[in-house]
This record gives sequence, structure tokens and C-alpha cells, in this order.
Amino acid sequence: MPYLIRRLLHMLFVLWAVATIVFLMFRLMPGDPSAAFIDPTFTVEQQQAVRAQFGLDRPLSEQYLIYLGNLARGEFGLSFRQRQPVLGMVLDVLPNTLLLTLTALLIAYAFGTLLGAVMAWKRGGRFEAISVPLVLTTRAAPEFWVGMVMLAIFAFGLGWLPSGGANVAGAQYASEWDRILSFDYLRHLALPALTLAIYLQGLPALLMRSSMLEVMREEFVTMARMKGLSERTIMLRHAARNALLPLVTAFALGFGQSVGGNVVVENVFSWPGLGRLLADAIANSDYPLAQCAFLLIAFVLVLMNFLADLLYGLLDPRVAHGRG
Amino acid sequence: MPFILENAAVTATTLSRRALLASSALSMLPALAPNTAQAATPGDKIRKLTLLSAAQASDPQEFQAAQLIAQSWRQLGLDVEVRGLPRPQLSDVVWNNRTKWDMTMWRMIGRPERSDPDEFTFNLYNPATIETGYNFIAYNNPDFQQIAQAQRAETDQEKRRELLYEAQDVINRDQPYLFLVYPKNVLAYDKSVWKPESVVEQSGIGIRCFWTFLRAEPAGAKRDMICNAAESMIAINPLYISGAIDSWVTELIWDRLMRVGPDGLPQPWAAEKITQVDPTTVDVVLRAGQKWHDGKPVTVEDVVFSFEAPATSDKSPMYKPFVANIASVKATDDRTVRFVLKTPSAAFATSTLAKINLVPKHVWEPILKGLEGKPENAETVQEEQPVGSGPFKVARFKLNEEIVLEANPSHWEKPKMDRWILRIITNTGAALGMLPRGEINFLSDYRGDPKLLTDMAKSNPNVEVVATTDMGFRFVAPNERRQPFDDARFRRALSLAINRQLMAAAAWNGFATPANSFVSPALPYWSKPGINDLKADMSEAKKILEDAGYVVVRGKLHYPEGVKETLDAS
Repeated sequence: MPYLIRRLLHMLFVLWAVATIVFLMFRLMPGDPSAAFIDPTFTVEQQQAVRAQFGLDRPLSEQYLIYLGNLARGEFGLSFRQRQPVLGMVLDVLPNTLLLTLTALLIAYAFGTLLGAVMAWKRGGRFEAISVPLVLTTRAAPEFWVGMVMLAIFAFGLGWLPSGGANVAGAQYASEWDRILSFDYLRHLALPALTLAIYLQGLPALLMRSSMLEVMREEFVTMARMKGLSERTIMLRHAARNALLPLVTAFALGFGQSVGGNVVVENVFSWPGLGRLLADAIANSDYPLAQCAFLLIAFVLVLMNFLADLLYGLLDPRVAHGRG
Repeated sequence: MPFILENAAVTATTLSRRALLASSALSMLPALAPNTAQAATPGDKIRKLTLLSAAQASDPQEFQAAQLIAQSWRQLGLDVEVRGLPRPQLSDVVWNNRTKWDMTMWRMIGRPERSDPDEFTFNLYNPATIETGYNFIAYNNPDFQQIAQAQRAETDQEKRRELLYEAQDVINRDQPYLFLVYPKNVLAYDKSVWKPESVVEQSGIGIRCFWTFLRAEPAGAKRDMICNAAESMIAINPLYISGAIDSWVTELIWDRLMRVGPDGLPQPWAAEKITQVDPTTVDVVLRAGQKWHDGKPVTVEDVVFSFEAPATSDKSPMYKPFVANIASVKATDDRTVRFVLKTPSAAFATSTLAKINLVPKHVWEPILKGLEGKPENAETVQEEQPVGSGPFKVARFKLNEEIVLEANPSHWEKPKMDRWILRIITNTGAALGMLPRGEINFLSDYRGDPKLLTDMAKSNPNVEVVATTDMGFRFVAPNERRQPFDDARFRRALSLAINRQLMAAAAWNGFATPANSFVSPALPYWSKPGINDLKADMSEAKKILEDAGYVVVRGKLHYPEGVKETLDAS
């Protein structure tokens, strides 16, 4: 399967490029990483010891080679700030982010696809006139603002849902699974997931709408009409199914993107996820942690892209043939 | 909501800023009038001066204060530019490029061990720290250093206070740093959950202190204190000074021989008795019957180990300075430990005995052995189950999410609460909303606009707000390596031109006290009465400059006769 191998090599190249950019980005940023540690109680020797401990006293090229070697071995190093292996820190919070992202995406795509289909179906009507600007508004509204509005209504106002965190204070569970499956966790997940979904649903809605409109001009729809099928059957069984194709890619990419793009939502809702960890890491010049988080996000994005490509080939034979 | 908070702060302050602009426009008038009585021949024009500050987004109050300062200095005929930088970059410039800047906004934060004025007195102005340490402004006054040395060695408290008063006078005269305000920490709790009379306000620290966590008494059925922190914790480690939030937790888990009390003065804690045998010898008698959280007894060997570990190895570098003055520490019987100091030290109790965490030798000796010859030090160690002897023990923790401590039933002063829980809440607005809802019942970290908090308390009778003057302070640091800041008269004029009362009201919304000393009024015993009453006096400032030979030409301030500008305005 030369296509598959080529795609895999391509993926590796992209990851290497990302790794290099990430490495350079942090080192060329203004400000010394040890500035984060500067404390009046530090002597020069102590400062130098810290630099040496993290290898910051060596030339950039040497740091780069060590870095690549470590990456190849799956070693991402110790966090500057928390002094713990960064991989463990990232993997600790990853489930929270994956759950948040998946929940939000499922809600967004279920709702958005349906909305898009109806918008296309009711083309030119009052429904479309209202819904299109509305969808565009949700897409343009800043997430933190939507988040604060959700908090103001559902937490502070109605008091239905908690205002932050992933569990009620002091809750204890037998295992991580018990925790994630608990009702309490679900309640805490609701607001951040909903906020993220409100932002995410715009893309599938608009995509579905335009894709539907295109499909509806195809001959087989006319054919179906000629067969005397009901409008509902034509729309759902024929048009919508065929219009779904671009949404597959959008979903896969959307997943990759929002794994790392939850920074705002996670901060507004104090959700212990990857986005918050990343923001923390950057704010504190914690390079190893930020590097690891970025690489993981890039990995998920590239992987989802790859899967979308493969899936596309399966769903639409023209793609695979075209690339041969 | 943080954004909403900032907006509110901006509106409140723009109003006062407008008022200030109006007043400054008026006072500019005489300066614009032709200079009739030109006494001296002017030197070079003073270059454009740059005042560095944290960027507006990262510290709106500091940035606003810098703007106010620049405005008043322009009235003296100076060209002043405020440049906001992100904090890490600001630290890098100020700390590592010491000749490259004119002035910077800076701050020193309050910590319990700073309840003794020695640290600031000794370090802030010390010529030894000009190159790489604290004294980044390069203030060099041997007379002052002599007083600083003398107060450190003076073990008679009254006499030491006299020396500290004198030190504060010297600093007031020289104005090496232009102190601005002592901010107030604003915190709150739910008084339907915690009895107000049991919540302790520690001088210079506030209600979020060891004593509150130890002694707060449940008012009803809720027996868990739920606090918040705006950032993730870094570590729970007794040999690592990792961060402010971490220290709230470590001081509950690990006991110390002494503790800084609610009044700001050290008092015996895990020690039953402290005896000053002579100026360099201190005997400490350990309180009987103490146990580590794993059930083993606390022994004098543990105590000796706790003080020797940071001193003899390089594995706890951050605690090393605090034990540097110890010549030897030995157990003289099974309850007594004798400390011999290299030089007499008045601050020894606060900065060493009340600072060093007592750690179990049986836990840390093997860990430190294992680290020998490796580049890592004890700071990289995170115990899965931390073991201390303090009033709380660790139930479980996730540094990014939540820390749960339980009352230690075998401690001689068992906390009144059952559990102490710290939640990491990154959204200030959400933390505020959580308090009346009971999702937290002690707002231990609040970085938003204090006014919003007091407003919320008005509509929620259960919310009790407490504002405490900090022992830390904000100041302008003029770089004395560069002219004209090498001239004390010039600095004094700059200082007199600053309206600190207005600044406290406008930039800090009234939650700050005007400052003119490195000893905060939060340390009432040491703060010189009246020292902070410095009032803005523009005409006096102008007169000082005039007397020192500075001349205003066409509205711009020039150096005294014969003085050349040696630096580029860039």
C-alpha cells in the first residue's frame, strides 16, 4: 500500500517540523526561562545550577539534538515548574479534555447537521433568514463571553449547575472510571461542554447547509422527486446522506483542533484539562510542558487528519483512485 | 468575568484620571510662563526617561500607577515614557540587564518570614547584592549598611527598634526606592459556615493564614473548609520554596519549631521553650509527644536533620540561605537542641526557626542519599504521601485540580474543622460566584476588583469581607547606575511629585495604603510612626530641583550647570 506508506511518512515529517518549530519558538521567545525562577533568595550559583540542571547552559544546537533524541525515545523531560515528568502530567489531564471535546463535538455535530439540513430544506424562508445570522453570531461570539453568560444563567442565576471544576469539593472515588462515570462529573461537564458546543455547531450547520444545497441540485434528487417520493424521504434518505461526506472531515479535524483549542473554555470553567495546562505552562515559561502539550495536540491533529483521509477514501472511492 | 472586572476598574479609574488631568493642566500654567528669574546656567537637557512596568493586561493596577507617576513627573519638565512589558520579559530586563534601563515599577510581596524587617533591611540595600542580587538599583550607602548590620546583631528588641527607626529615616532622606503603596489583601468567607470570632487576621498576611486554618470553628453542620486558588500548585515539598499557594499547604502539613503569630512576632510552636543562652547560642526544647503522620515519634535527631539537610547538601538550595548563619546544631539531650550561630542574629527566630520545616529523617535521609551525585535535587521529589507532623495531613492531591487535607487527630492542637480543601479555580469571576453558592466557603485567593467583592457582600449577608494591609509593597526602582538617578536630591524631588493618596484611590480603588518605607505599617512594632505621611508637594519638588541646580528651560528640565547627558534617549 504505497499510498498508506506515503501518508505515514508525510505524517512523520509534519510531526518533526512541528517539533522543531516548537523547540525554536520557546527558545527564541524574549525572556530567560530562568526568569520564572528568579527569587531574591537565589544566589548566582543557584541560578546557574538551575540552568545546568535543565541543560539551558549548553549551546542551542546541542540542546536541539538532545531534544530530538529524547523525543524519539518518548522522553519529554521534566517540567521546569512542577519538576515532574511532563508526559505523565499531560496524560493525567488528557481524559478530561477528550471527554469535554467529544461531548461538545457530538452535541455540536448532531445539532448542527440537523440544523444545516433544515436550513437547506427551508431555503429562502423565514427560518433561514433568522437561523443563518444566529449561527454566524454564535460562531463569532467570544467563547469566554458565552461561558460567562452560561455561568451567569445556569450557575449563579438558576443554580442548576456547578460553576467550575470537574467534581464537587472533596469528592472521592474508587477509581478514575468511577469518577468519570459519576453523575457529579457529568453535572460539572455540562456547562463547559455546552459552551464549547455552541461555538462548534456553527461549522457543521453551515457546511451541511451548503453541501445539502449542492446535492439538492443533483439529478438523483430530481429523479427521486419524479418517483413521487415524499419530500421528507428525499431530504433525509437521499439528500442529507450524500451531503454528510464533508462533515466527516470537519468532525475529524474539529476533534484534533479542539483538543488543543479548549484553552478558553477550560479556564472559564476551571476544567482540569490540556488547554489549561498549556496556558499555565506558557504563562510560566515551562518549556518542556508546553512542548509536550503542543506536540500531543499536533499529534492528535495530524492523526485525525490522516484518519479523515483514510475514511474519505473508503466513503468516496473517487478520492482513493484520484491519488492512486 | 475577569474582563468585566477590569472594565469596572477602568471606568472607576478613568474618572479619577480625568480629574487628575484637569488638575495637572492647571498646574502646568506657571511652568509655561516665561522663566523670568533664571538663576543658573543649565547643563544638558535630561534625556527622555523610560519607566518600565508590567503590561496593562498582566497588572492593570501597576500600569495605571505608572501612568499617574509619569503624569506628575511631566509637570517637573521631564519627558517620561511608560513601557509595559510581560512579566517574564520585565524580570529578564531588570534582573539580568542591569545597566540597560532607567526605572521600573517593582514589588516585594508579603511572606510570614518577612514579618521580621531584617530581610528587607539587610538585602534591599546591600552593596554585596548590586551585581546579581536584590539591590538591582545599585544603591550604595556604607552608613546605611552599618545600621543594617547593627540591627541584625542587636538582640535587645527596644534598641533594635531604635536602629530600625534610624534606618527608615536614612531611606526616607535618600529615597533609593520610591515606595508607593502597601496594597491591601481582600479576602472573604461565609460566616454562616465559620464563626467570625474564630477567624484570625494575621498582621500583614490577612485571614488566609495558618491560624485561621487551625482555629476556624464551624458555625453549623458543615465542617469542611473549602478554599480556592487561582493557579495550579507547583509541588507539596518541605524542602522546596515553590510558590505562594504551595506555602499555604506546606505550612499546614509540616510543623516548625516556631511560628509567626497573629501579631507578626515569632512564638514557640513545636518547641516548648526557646532560650537565648548568649548572643550566638540558642537552646530549643522540643514539645513532648509529637508524632509524624506515619505514626513514628518526632525526635531531636529529626530536628537536627531538618536544619542540617539544607545546610550540608546542595539538595535544598532554596532553604540554604535560611540556615547559612548556623555554625552547628546538636542534640544535647533527648529533648533539647542547641544552635550555635556564626554571628548574632536578631531575626534568627523568624527567618530560621519559624521558617525551616521539620522533616522526618527516616523519610528524607534515604531520598537525599539517592540523589547524591545526580544533577537533580530534592525539589524534584514529589512524595506520593507527604509525611509531616503538622496539624493537617494529606488525604489526596492533584496539583492542577484539588488538594484535600484532613485534621491530624494526634496533633496537640487539633484543628476544629474536619477537612481543608483547596480547589484550583482559574476564573476569578467564577470563584466570586462560588462563595455565596457554597461551592467554596472561604475565598482565599481573590485577584479581581475589591469593589466587586464588597458589593457582593452587601447583597449576601453571609459573606464577610476582610481587607488587610500587606507587609509587601509596590515601588518605583530608579537605576542609580544611570544619571540623573544617582542624585539623591533628584530622587527626592521625583518622590515628592507623586501623589500616593490619589494613586491608592485611583489605581487600587482605595484598597492600598500610601507607602514611604520598607517596613509596612502591618508590622506596627517596627514601622516608624509618621514615616508614611509623605504628602505630594509639587512646589517643594520643584524647589528641591532648583536648589540642586536643575534648570527648566522652555518647559524642559535640564541638568545643573556643567553636567553632560551621557546616555542616549533610546
